[in-house]
Amino acid sequence: MEINVNGEAHEVDVEDDMPLLWVLRDELNLTGTKYGCGIAQCGACTIHMDGLAVRPCQLKASEAKGRQITTIEGLGTPDALNAVQAAWIEHQVAQCGYCQSGQIMSAASFLKFKPNPTDEEIDYAMSANLCRCGTYPRIREAVKTAAAKLRGEV
Amino acid sequence: MKSVIKTCLLSLFIVNSMAAENSIGDKTVLNEPEAGSVSTQQGLDSWSRVYEVASHPRCANCHVGNSPYPMWSGPSFTKTQRHGMNINAGASRMGVEYIMCSTCHTGSNSEADHGAPGVKDAWRLAPVEADWFGKSSVEICQQLRDPKRNGNRTYQEIASHLGHDVILHWAWNPGGEREPAPYSLQEHMDDIMLWGVAGMPCPDDINSNLNDGVSYE
Repeated sequence: MEINVNGEAHEVDVEDDMPLLWVLRDELNLTGTKYGCGIAQCGACTIHMDGLAVRPCQLKASEAKGRQITTIEGLGTPDALNAVQAAWIEHQVAQCGYCQSGQIMSAASFLKFKPNPTDEEIDYAMSANLCRCGTYPRIREAVKTAAAKLRGEV
Repeated sequence: MKSVIKTCLLSLFIVNSMAAENSIGDKTVLNEPEAGSVSTQQGLDSWSRVYEVASHPRCANCHVGNSPYPMWSGPSFTKTQRHGMNINAGASRMGVEYIMCSTCHTGSNSEADHGAPGVKDAWRLAPVEADWFGKSSVEICQQLRDPKRNGNRTYQEIASHLGHDVILHWAWNPGGEREPAPYSLQEHMDDIMLWGVAGMPCPDDINSNLNDGVSYE
């Protein structure tokens, strides 16, 4: 089947019901997207489908047909970071870093709807992305900085 | 026990002798009993089964009224609690304000323990007016027969809506180890119709009438 990932069409020879996460990591070698729990409880695998956050551990490969998939590799580049990625570096959010690609993808999706979120709104939006290192205070600050960047204030 | 069996047999007889049958899909039909063919008591018996469904965790967990918080309750959980991960479905009822329900609840239904259930429809909370979680049989019954709180639906439209709305069908086929809602979708629709033809009686109607000294079947 053909799926579009990070703006490129890919022909992959997989079963329709293979989890999309397997397709990304094992077939396309896009390993920035992490496997955490496999049941949508941790958020480590978060990507975008048509611009909205989704958990590819819960999606069948066939559900990606005709959709625009974006992974952490496609959100920005080292030379042209997405505002959320830039804020993450600015605040040195990552500790072990395993959950961070999922955190960034969730934050990027959330900020499309909430350009100027409160702390409480950030907590609601980001609580489904677990961080075993407990970087939540830095995540919250980075989301606020990213929001300010996207509003053109910094 | 005898009265339960009698009631079930009576219901079966009534359902099997429905006067009109309208197909509303390839799996369910809208069985319309003849007017006057269902007594108030039979309607109340049907209602008690409807309440078993409405109050079951597969249904009630997302019928949370004004609350934006889906609930986790039932045999899969050790205690009744708010949906984990601080989920807040917001005024949109589908999480647009924070994290959309569809982020995890996709078109695929997870069979894994505590995996995210999903259907080929937008996962969302029920409308605010359909406030069932923790509510009594009387409270839910009065909601469902009140056009202001049931989406301005007749009983036929309530039953028909059950047949058409894909997200509701999941309750009877939740997959994995999840306990399904009792009876079947078709039986539930039939009970709504029987209750409707009986005049949509609610359990407290009898008490009210008894208190008024009025004889009630």
